[in-house]
Amino acid sequence: MIKARNAGHGARGSSPRRFRSNNAHKAAGYDGSMPLNRLLRRPGRLLALLLAGSALAAWAGATAPGTPRTAAPASPLARPPAAASAAEPGDEHDDSANLSASARRIYDVGRPRLLQVRTLLRDQDSQASVGSGSLVGPDGLILTNYHVVSQMALEPQRYRLNFQTVDGVAGALQLIAFDVVHDLALVRMAQPPAAVASRGTFEFRPQATPLAQGERIFSLGNPLDIGFEVIEGTYNGLVERSFLPQILFSGALNPGMSGGPVLDDRGRIVGVNVATRRDGQNISFLVPAEFAQALIARSAHAKPITGPVEAEMARQLLVHQQQLTTRFIGLPWRETKHAHYSVPVPQEDFMRCWGSSNPSESKGLSFERSDCQMDTAIFINESLRTGDIAVRHEVYDGSRLGALRFAQEAGMSFRNERMGRRTHDLTAPKCQEDFVENAGLTMRSVMCLRAYRHLPGLYDVAVLSQSVDAKTEGVQGRFDARGVSFQNALLLASHYLQGFAWKRSP
Amino acid sequence: METLALIETLDRDGQPRQILRVSQWPVRIGRAIACDLVLDDPHVAAHHATLELRDDGVHVVPAATLNGVRLGRAAIAPGSTPLLPAAALLTLGGTSLRVRLAGEVLAPEQRLLDLHQYERRHVTTLLLLIAFAALWKGFDLWLTAMPGQPGSVLAWSYLAAPAGLVVWCAAWAIGSMLFQRRFAFWAHLHVALRWLMAGVVAEAVTAQLAFAFSMPWLDKLGRIAFVVAIAQQQPLVGDLYLGTISLPAMRMARPVPVDAFVKSAAPLEKTLSHWTKAGDDGADADDSDDEDDGG
Repeated sequence: MIKARNAGHGARGSSPRRFRSNNAHKAAGYDGSMPLNRLLRRPGRLLALLLAGSALAAWAGATAPGTPRTAAPASPLARPPAAASAAEPGDEHDDSANLSASARRIYDVGRPRLLQVRTLLRDQDSQASVGSGSLVGPDGLILTNYHVVSQMALEPQRYRLNFQTVDGVAGALQLIAFDVVHDLALVRMAQPPAAVASRGTFEFRPQATPLAQGERIFSLGNPLDIGFEVIEGTYNGLVERSFLPQILFSGALNPGMSGGPVLDDRGRIVGVNVATRRDGQNISFLVPAEFAQALIARSAHAKPITGPVEAEMARQLLVHQQQLTTRFIGLPWRETKHAHYSVPVPQEDFMRCWGSSNPSESKGLSFERSDCQMDTAIFINESLRTGDIAVRHEVYDGSRLGALRFAQEAGMSFRNERMGRRTHDLTAPKCQEDFVENAGLTMRSVMCLRAYRHLPGLYDVAVLSQSVDAKTEGVQGRFDARGVSFQNALLLASHYLQGFAWKRSP
Repeated sequence: METLALIETLDRDGQPRQILRVSQWPVRIGRAIACDLVLDDPHVAAHHATLELRDDGVHVVPAATLNGVRLGRAAIAPGSTPLLPAAALLTLGGTSLRVRLAGEVLAPEQRLLDLHQYERRHVTTLLLLIAFAALWKGFDLWLTAMPGQPGSVLAWSYLAAPAGLVVWCAAWAIGSMLFQRRFAFWAHLHVALRWLMAGVVAEAVTAQLAFAFSMPWLDKLGRIAFVVAIAQQQPLVGDLYLGTISLPAMRMARPVPVDAFVKSAAPLEKTLSHWTKAGDDGADADDSDDEDDGG
């Protein structure tokens, strides 16, 4: 990768473009795995920070009786779900009084079945992180996000789970099942209190009646641990070009709401809060309800998980990577317009590519760059996301430099690629390198693999390839796939390298 | 009169400050003016020790004193009167004495490195080395600078390395001044430049050869050679792959087809699975890119 050497000479130093979605935030490098989506679980360190600043307000709010939040159950507008069916979406358009009333009605419907899911340290009552959840089955079966319970799932010797309802009923939770790919988990109350049994459960909106874009939906949860909220927003269909289906919810989700249900106007679950975009506003994401329903159908009666979860996690990820690999390899590479080089650039079916180049007045190496990434990465733990692919390339024109200096610059750009290092989750990289020829183009190619230390059979693969057969021009490409099997790593590497070619006639 | 021995009073640098020619035994040593060798040292007794000739040679006979007498490093035990070895070093209080006896076998004469002669003889190679270093540095600068970069930046970068070298050699020269009493700056510059240039050339040549024949280990070897030949820049360990890209004409190794390349990576599976179990891959850690980003 070309690094910025002086002002205005590099992709990394691009000027901030505030209100436009661009790839500036990705320039930190694929390996850095900066997620596009911020997960809506509230990490402990942020909690400590916020409580320090707003402790008084939080305390006052919690103790003052008669705040709207605690007054809600007494509201005469509370109606049972059956009565809610009387109000169809069409009946109440353009009526702001009704809009407010419907949010209130939804909250009243959801309130008894809404919970906060707290991850506590094993030996004390301090919370490490908090999310939300919803009662979806008998005996206190709760639906939430995998990332809300991941600390407890991965390190049960350090963490435990607890729930707390809106009216203050609390107790311990057991992990029942998880779907790491879609970021869902089922937990169950260890001893369901009698008060909870009578509350009923959320229902799911039938898949036969899909939502239309623009319909109002309501997200419930406990943002930032400051209190349960209902948030109105708009259903905007599925996120485009996303490998894993996600609902685009135009509403303000905040950390702590992760795992909370999103309801239609009859109080039926249509999705689960999961993430929001850092660089946008009111751009939030939901896991479609169908995956939650499938998980419940599969595992509602499963016994609590007590042993290590890594084997099952690896199994789910291996299924995912097989689908991803098959689909990726099935797509042809796109045509590139360069006069001499064919470069593998992926189709944008489930990836997004951003281009950049250095300013034309630069007197040194000029280059053009393309960065393609997937939007969705699978959350494993705070420092590990996986299950995605990234492809990038840089095309260099060194005609103003001459052969020697071009070779020097190209070498610098080749040398400074990061391949990662040993972490808690991954081994150090191990590389294979050689001169490789494909379709008339000779390249210096390096393939580095890292194995997942705790998820057997999964690997990260990076392929770095740079053309070495022209004096003052060249191309450098990099392919990354995270969380693939060894065989698929080789298959993808081969597929990628075969995308390079020398065009005989310009 | 025949000289039987020479007693040299040494200063703290080990140079003689006062020399006594001994023409008869015994020799009394102390602070009193009645002594044969008078020492002006408050830690020495009025009569501190006597050197006596006996049948087997000269012995040290310490008197009753507070601080005693050391022969070499060892203190002489009370009541003991050891035989003086050849070129013995005695310490009385805070004063060191060297006693040389007549008839001792002398060490052969040592050749002196004549600094001026050395500098004259190597003046041509030194000038050549300086010229080569200047050219090399200039080439390196030209290679890495972009056209249009301001000259002042380049000038500073150009001067930094020679300035460092001058400081390095001056430090060595001051060291030699301290211990040898001569300022051998040019000799040190000659030695430093010779090794530095040898290292730089070796590194460049091995890097090019490594590229040409696709032999990453050669590049590593060159780096080691460079570091051994003194100095700098890139870390020795942590190179995951060969970072050199050279001119197309430099490539000698034949490229392999994609399939063969990918197949050659198959053995990595075994290594990596071993690493997941044993966890002995820590040495390969290279850069820091784990950006923890909670949400």
